[in-house]
Amino acid sequence: MNHKKIYLDNCVTTPTAPEVVEAMRPYFTDQFWFPGTFISTGEATNAALAEFRGTIARSLNAAADEIHFTSGGTLANNIAIKGLLGANSVAGKHIIVSVVDYPDLLTNAAYFEKLGFAVTYLEPDAEGFVSADKLKAALRPDTVLFMTTIVNHVVGTIQPVKEYNAVLKNADYKIWFHADAGQAYGKMPLDVNALGVDTLSVSAHKIHGPQGIGALYVKKGTKLTQLIHGVNRVDPLQTGGISIALLAGFAKAVELTFADLEAQTRYLREMSDHLLERLEASIPDIELNGPRGEGRACHNINVSIAYIEGEAITMMLDQHGIIVATGSACASQGLKPNYVLMAMGKNHVQSHGSMKFTLSRYTTREDIDFTVTKLADIAAALRERSPLYQAKSKPER
Amino acid sequence: MQYSQKVLDHFMHPHNVGKMENPDASATEGSPACGDQVTVYLKVDEEKKTIEDVSFLSYGCASNIATASIITDLAKGKTLDEAKKITWKDAMEALDGLPPVKVHCSVLAADTLQTAISNYEIAHGLKEVPNFGKETIVEELKKIIYPQVGEDIVSLKMVKYVGFTDGEVLIDMNMMSFDQWRENVADEIREHLAKYPEVKKIQINFP
Repeated sequence: MNHKKIYLDNCVTTPTAPEVVEAMRPYFTDQFWFPGTFISTGEATNAALAEFRGTIARSLNAAADEIHFTSGGTLANNIAIKGLLGANSVAGKHIIVSVVDYPDLLTNAAYFEKLGFAVTYLEPDAEGFVSADKLKAALRPDTVLFMTTIVNHVVGTIQPVKEYNAVLKNADYKIWFHADAGQAYGKMPLDVNALGVDTLSVSAHKIHGPQGIGALYVKKGTKLTQLIHGVNRVDPLQTGGISIALLAGFAKAVELTFADLEAQTRYLREMSDHLLERLEASIPDIELNGPRGEGRACHNINVSIAYIEGEAITMMLDQHGIIVATGSACASQGLKPNYVLMAMGKNHVQSHGSMKFTLSRYTTREDIDFTVTKLADIAAALRERSPLYQAKSKPER
Repeated sequence: MQYSQKVLDHFMHPHNVGKMENPDASATEGSPACGDQVTVYLKVDEEKKTIEDVSFLSYGCASNIATASIITDLAKGKTLDEAKKITWKDAMEALDGLPPVKVHCSVLAADTLQTAISNYEIAHGLKEVPNFGKETIVEELKKIIYPQVGEDIVSLKMVKYVGFTDGEVLIDMNMMSFDQWRENVADEIREHLAKYPEVKKIQINFP
């Protein structure tokens, strides 16, 4: 058995790059300072901050002053959504989101619904795409906000963001546009100007940066009501202290990811294709959830393995040091099947048997081959015990 | 949430697993829609009325497989009357406990064993087909576990009223509107009662 774990749950978090740990080290030790003026320690930190901000801004084709630091993707989403609605609710109280969006967006929508806002929940198609036509049909004169998750966190579907932008730009009223780019960042080129978003959230630990730091892009001139009041140390939107060390790590992770983004995404696509090919060749009655090919993020493969249940599969893979995720209700604290798969029209059995593999640049071909070999054995063993499989293998009369 | 070592052992290396050829009785309980399903097969010594052999199939999670494994261990070699006394609590104990959200799995395994025994007894004229009534409904409700604490909804006094007239089951529940398990419990109630041909309609009321 491998003593090193094969980690294929990079959608949740990624291993921190060794270079990132090195880049953070000085800021945990002798350069522990906060920004300030006229004194050497504060000025040195100002200079470092400007550099980090510039690096992160360039990765999104944003201006440096359009980037705000937060403690992560969820805070960035909250600052954007609550900030935009707080500043613009006089214009209307209607929000549009889709049922397959990331929980940050959906829980915020539910919160505003309680406050008296109307929310339209767009439905996806069978592959998880939410069409721009549906957005267009949902527009109302009082619509103030549309939010989307650029890459779906369950099935990797890439939403047609540019088409959304065209719809929103042609609307009769200004509709603010927020995007969660947690799963898209570092997996595809993102140019905030081409996307046409007003706000966009990213997180460092999804691209081999440290946990606990993220960023929010806010288009120049966009008003947000302030959510967190306090002393302005590092960023006016998230007041109070923010770790300079984590920022250094974030900037290093961006450098490493974006030095040759094309090569990295090509590698991830190659590995994902290989994984899917091996899965489909080794395990009968397996189906891909979400789109095949370019409509899907390069690091995500989600499949349903018929007749068996995902929690049992993940626990058995774990015994071999392989870490993956499942959409099974049995593995969730709420005993509910995965809401994205169900919205795409999958049934309970497909959700229970769903396995999500999310790869990183550290995933090797050998990791994938080992994983598929083990998974094929596990699937065969569990099917041998499954009444659903036994019922299916009975000869039809 | 953590499984005991015993659960993991039985999950990784289940006892008495597999389809039985020519069983004397069998039963399948649960439904894939609710997440799990178990089949139990029995071979019974007709003279001694003992369970000579028992095996199971399971579509479900680790605790589902482990509880089916332990319940068949507990039943093997027992007389039918002894085996009828095996409950989900015995399975839980033998496994050194289960996380509260997983207790329902042990109920399913115990339930399937009991149905298989009952099927045997009915087929061999050892008992009559029981009449369906309010008591049957209450017995079924006792098998439904409130996932928050791992106890059944009847002992937790969550069932306020049970009625049965002209094929219509009426159940008044005592669960608050903010209780995250309401939908889950209602689904389970429907699943448990829908298998009876006598039940035509199920009405579940919450405050």
